[in-house]
Amino acid sequence: MILDLERFQAQAGPRWRALESLLAALESRPDRRLNPAEAEQLQELYAQAATDLNRVTHGALAYELRQYLERLVARAYAELYYAPPMRSEIWQPRRWLRILTAFPETFRRQSRYFVLAVLITLSGCALGGLAVRYDPASVDVLLPADYLRNPDQRVHEEEQGQGRHLASAQTEAAFSAQLIRHNIQVALLAAALGVTFGIGTALLLFENGVLLGAVAVHYTQRGFGLFMTAWLLPHGVFEIPSILIAGQAGFYLARLLLHRREDRNVRQSMREWLVLVAGLAMMLVWAGIMEAFFSQHHAPVLPYGFKVAVAAAELVLLTIYLLLIGRREIGGEARSGVPSENR
Amino acid sequence: MTDTQSTRASTVAELTIVTPEGVFFRLPLAGPASRLYAMLFDIAIVLGTVNGIGLIVYWIFAKTPGFGVMVIALAEFAIGFAYGALLEGFWNGQTIGKRLLHLRVIDQAGLPLRIEQAWVRNLMRVFDALPFAYLVGGISVLSSPLMQRFGDRVAGTLVVRQTPLAVPGEEFWTRQKYNSFMEYPTIAVHLRRAATPELASLIQDALRRRNELEPYARREIYRELAAYLQSEISSFPDELVERLSDEQYLMNASGILFGDQRRSRVQG
Repeated sequence: MILDLERFQAQAGPRWRALESLLAALESRPDRRLNPAEAEQLQELYAQAATDLNRVTHGALAYELRQYLERLVARAYAELYYAPPMRSEIWQPRRWLRILTAFPETFRRQSRYFVLAVLITLSGCALGGLAVRYDPASVDVLLPADYLRNPDQRVHEEEQGQGRHLASAQTEAAFSAQLIRHNIQVALLAAALGVTFGIGTALLLFENGVLLGAVAVHYTQRGFGLFMTAWLLPHGVFEIPSILIAGQAGFYLARLLLHRREDRNVRQSMREWLVLVAGLAMMLVWAGIMEAFFSQHHAPVLPYGFKVAVAAAELVLLTIYLLLIGRREIGGEARSGVPSENR
Repeated sequence: MTDTQSTRASTVAELTIVTPEGVFFRLPLAGPASRLYAMLFDIAIVLGTVNGIGLIVYWIFAKTPGFGVMVIALAEFAIGFAYGALLEGFWNGQTIGKRLLHLRVIDQAGLPLRIEQAWVRNLMRVFDALPFAYLVGGISVLSSPLMQRFGDRVAGTLVVRQTPLAVPGEEFWTRQKYNSFMEYPTIAVHLRRAATPELASLIQDALRRRNELEPYARREIYRELAAYLQSEISSFPDELVERLSDEQYLMNASGILFGDQRRSRVQG
């Protein structure tokens, strides 16, 4: 190395310190925006620091100085090549409300993964249902919880015990929170299991399907079909689709990981995954509330016909929401979405 | 002697980034242990916050405890996910725990991470935390060259160490008025050519830690280093070496390696 470190450091020190203080100022700004003079200064100081780093790198004797310069160049590089999100994008409430239209749009855009999730769940249902239909002994294996195996007792308990439920909206509130947490956690797991190339997601959906099919056939065989429909569907019409959407998000993630494209696309695709997860979380909040406050009340307080009608109405609204909302805005969004990508 | 240096370098995982200008720099990656400590800090902070909110909520909902439980349970759940995502997203990749331990989450390309990335890597915790105590995430970190847990792999992020560094100060031994090695420019040049960067920084480290070493250890280390230099790298004349202590020998060598070269060149 032909470098007088001492002199080099004395000469370059002031500009390194200038870069350091500029970076400190920038990093403390939440929006990390530069004015033109600062941008010019940053560009210049960055170029100089990079040159200095190059000289030291080839010298290789000044280990600490190199570390210091690497850190400095890394920080400057991050500021120079990063396009910060528009401040307005983050803090406008309208941006947050956009999730309400973005969710059904994304749902439709990625509907093939939803179909896959439905098919896997249906095959699980078929297996569970057929197993219980033709081999009643399989109930003990397929339905883990005791209460699911004895519909007569369960229905009796449910119909008798409703006074207890009615007595406290308090317990119902606490119960709904538990349900919401648990369901979101399971759904999130299904969406995250996409990293196992979708295998985990598929298994989870299939198992869920087996359980659903087995319970449905088991209760219907014992003549509790109407009770079960009224018991499960008011929340189920949201809960079951949301777990399917979780599966959709999982398969979408798997597909994304198998075909990593260029960076910007990956970022856009991650947004789609997030939108699906946020949407299904909203659905599960509603499902949790319905399950705790509505589903647990039975005839004669709430006639079964009424409960089934409510469930049907919910299903219609959900279908309309997922299939129709946001359709007209697609063109406008495509136009407004472009400039936000560039600085 | 060079072994210690090279193992130290190889156990520290790094990310090398080549900028469009053709400059490359390396970022030291955070190991699982420091990340675990940061996470424990964060968990403590979240639990503290949730319990604080819980007290207030209980007080507000004193007559309807069921709704209080509902609010707390949901708030706890939401804060658990949002804490990491929002802080990392808006505070340049740092939670409070990460800031305390000088860690930062960044994009794989060396850029600040984006808000979506912060959300994705924090939501993916449900998978990394499986089956208990972040076993999946831990194995993922240990088996990944970039020390990424699954959340990081999906979001395209990684965690780097950022201990604050200052411009290295001047070393006292480069300021010596007179360096007797300069009188033998040929040997001095040979020393500069033959000394590897590892050896040079070893000498520098040994001198810098002068006051941290026990007197006996210091004497032994200096003796071995000086003997190695004298026998393997640069054989200065015996009559000169005999007059120098081992420490002075190393200071002179270091002066040759790191100091101002012009005098020796002028003299040579």
